[in-house]
Amino acid sequence: MTSRWSYGRIAHLLLWCGLAVALVTVSIPKIYSGATEYPLRPGGALHTTDSYLKFATGTEGASKNLISMFESMPMSKPIVIFIHKGDAFSSGLGMTTAYLASPHPVRLCEIDGTHPDNELSLINPDKVVAVVFCRLTRPAWLPPGKVFGSGLEIVSIWEKR
Amino acid sequence: MNALGLFGAFGTLFAAGYGLLALLVRRSLQLSLAEQIAFSWLFGTGAVSLLLWVFGFFANGLLLQGLVSVVCISLGMVGWKLKTPSQIRRKPRWFEVVLTAVITIEIAIVFYLSFVHTLGWDGLLNWEIKARYAFANGGVLPAAYFSDSGRAFSHPEYPLAIPFTELWLYLWLGESNQFCAKTIFPTFYLAGTFLLAAFAVRLSRRTWLGLLMAALLFFVPQITVEAGCASAGYADFPLSVFYLAAAGCLYCMVEQGNDVFFRLYAACLALLPWVKRDGLILWIVAAACGVLVILRARKPPLSSLAFLPGIVIICAWRLYLNATHALQAADFLPFNPETFRTHLNRALPLLSALVAEFYSLPTWSLFWFTVAVAFLYSLPRMRDPGVVALVVALIAPIVLYLSLYLFSSWPNYLDHVGLSISRLLMQVVPVGFLLIVLAVSRRPEKHPQQVEMPNRATCAMARSERTAVVELA
Repeated sequence: MTSRWSYGRIAHLLLWCGLAVALVTVSIPKIYSGATEYPLRPGGALHTTDSYLKFATGTEGASKNLISMFESMPMSKPIVIFIHKGDAFSSGLGMTTAYLASPHPVRLCEIDGTHPDNELSLINPDKVVAVVFCRLTRPAWLPPGKVFGSGLEIVSIWEKR
Repeated sequence: MNALGLFGAFGTLFAAGYGLLALLVRRSLQLSLAEQIAFSWLFGTGAVSLLLWVFGFFANGLLLQGLVSVVCISLGMVGWKLKTPSQIRRKPRWFEVVLTAVITIEIAIVFYLSFVHTLGWDGLLNWEIKARYAFANGGVLPAAYFSDSGRAFSHPEYPLAIPFTELWLYLWLGESNQFCAKTIFPTFYLAGTFLLAAFAVRLSRRTWLGLLMAALLFFVPQITVEAGCASAGYADFPLSVFYLAAAGCLYCMVEQGNDVFFRLYAACLALLPWVKRDGLILWIVAAACGVLVILRARKPPLSSLAFLPGIVIICAWRLYLNATHALQAADFLPFNPETFRTHLNRALPLLSALVAEFYSLPTWSLFWFTVAVAFLYSLPRMRDPGVVALVVALIAPIVLYLSLYLFSSWPNYLDHVGLSISRLLMQVVPVGFLLIVLAVSRRPEKHPQQVEMPNRATCAMARSERTAVVELA
C-alpha cells in the first residue's frame, strides 16, 4: 500500500489533475463564446458564398443572382475583376466573384487607387465579356452595370456592344 | 433527398474504408469498434478520392460515379467476408460511462458548430472550389483550371483528398452544396477522437485515460472554435488525424510487435501527401520514424516497401501537375542554400513568434505547456524506439515548418507566420496528446532486449501477464 501511494505517485497525480483542470478552465470561456456566437441558420447550397456576399455588400442571397448573370454571358471571353490592393474586403469580394463566375475564364486585376480608369483604357472591349468592380468606383464613361448592395458592380460589355 | 444522397455517399465511403481495413488487418488483430469506424473513414476518404481522380482519366458523369460505387461496394463485401475481429467488451465503469457521454456531447457540439459557421476562407476558396468545378465538369477537374491565372488564388496545385471527398457527396446529392459539404469535417473530428481514445488505451492499457484524452481534445480552442478549426472546412485537422493514425500505428507496432500495425501505418503514411501539400513534410517525418523503427526492430528489408505507396502518390501528383502546366504557389522563394544563408537572420524572430504562439492561451489554452511537461517525462525513456518515434513525430514537423518561413516570399514574413502557424501546429496536436498519455501512464521503461526478440507479440503479452515472482524466477 505504501509503494502504491508513494509521494512521487501523489505528486504525479496532482500535477496531471491540475494540468487537466487548468486546461479545461482556461478553455471553457473561449469555447463557450465561440459556440454561442452565431445562431443556427437554415443552410442552402450556396450557404457560404451568400454569407460572404452579405457581409461584404449587405445583399441577401446574392450568389444565385450572380451565377445566373454570369450564365447568361458568352463563355468564350474572360471576365475582368478589379480589386483594390491592400483592401481585404475588395480581394475577398473579387475572389468570391471569381469562384461564382466559373466556368468563365477570369482575370483578377489588382489596382493601387480606387479608380481603375487607366487599367480599363488598356483593355480591348472586344476581348472581355464583363467587368466587375469590387469596392471600386466605375469610371463615368463606362455605362452603369448591375449593382449588388454596396461595393459590387458588374458591367456586361457584350450587352452594351 | 439530400439525406438519402448523404446516406449513399457516407455509406459507400465507409464500405470502401472498411473493406480496405479488413484487407490490411486480415483477422490478425482485434480492433475496437471505435478503431474500425475511424480507420474505415480515413481509408474510405483516401480511397474514394484517389479512385475519382484515377478513374476520371477515362470516365466522367454517371459512369465515373458508378465505377467508383462498384469498387466501394465490392470492397465493402470483401470487408464483410473478412470481418475484422472486435475486442471483447467488458462492463464499463461509471466514470468511463460519464467520459463517453462527455465525448458524445462534444462530438455533437462540433457537428453543431460546423452547421452554424460557414466554410472558412480556405475551406471555400482552396478546397470546396475544386469539388464544385469538378462536379460541374462531370466529376473531373477541368484541365484549364490548373493553368488559369485568374484562379491561381485557389492553389490548383493542392492535392485532392478533401475536395474529392466533397465531390463524392456532390455526386450523390446531384448538386454542389456548400452546406452539406461541411458534414465531412466533423466526421474527421469523430474519427480523430475515436483514434486518439483507442491509441491512448493501447498505450496506457487504461480505458479511462484514453477516454479522458479524447475528451480533452475538445478543450483545445484551436481545434474547436478558432479560425481553421476542425469544423471550418480546412484540411489541417483531417491531416492531423491521418498523422495521428500513422504515428499511433507505428508506436503500437513497436509496443505490441504486431505487423498489422505496420501495414496500417503504411496505408495512413501514403495518404498524408494526398490530404494537403504540407502532408509531404509530415510524410517525410513519419517515414523517417518508420526507418528508425525498422532499423531498431531489425525488420526485414522488404518492410521498406511500406514507403512505396506514398512515393507513388507524390510522384503521380507531381507528374499530373506538370502535365497540366499547373501554376505554382508564389508563397515561397526557391529552396536552395543561398536563400537559406541570406535569410538566416529570420531565425530568432521566427523562434520568438513560435514561443509567442505557444503562450497564446486563447488559441491553445495550456496545451503546449502540458506537452512540454510530457516531453520532460519522456526524456528518461529515450531508449525506447517507440517513444523516440513519438517525440520526433511531434517535434520535427514544428522545426521543419518553422524553417519553411525562412523561405517565405511574403513582404512581411511574420504576417505569413501569424496567418498560418496555428493551423500548422494543429496538425501535430493529436500526436502531442499521445505523448501526454505516455507521461500520465508513466509505465516502466522497456528492456532494450525485448525489441529484438523474434516473437515479440507473444513475449510482450506474456510480460504484461506475469507476476513479479515469475518475472524474477
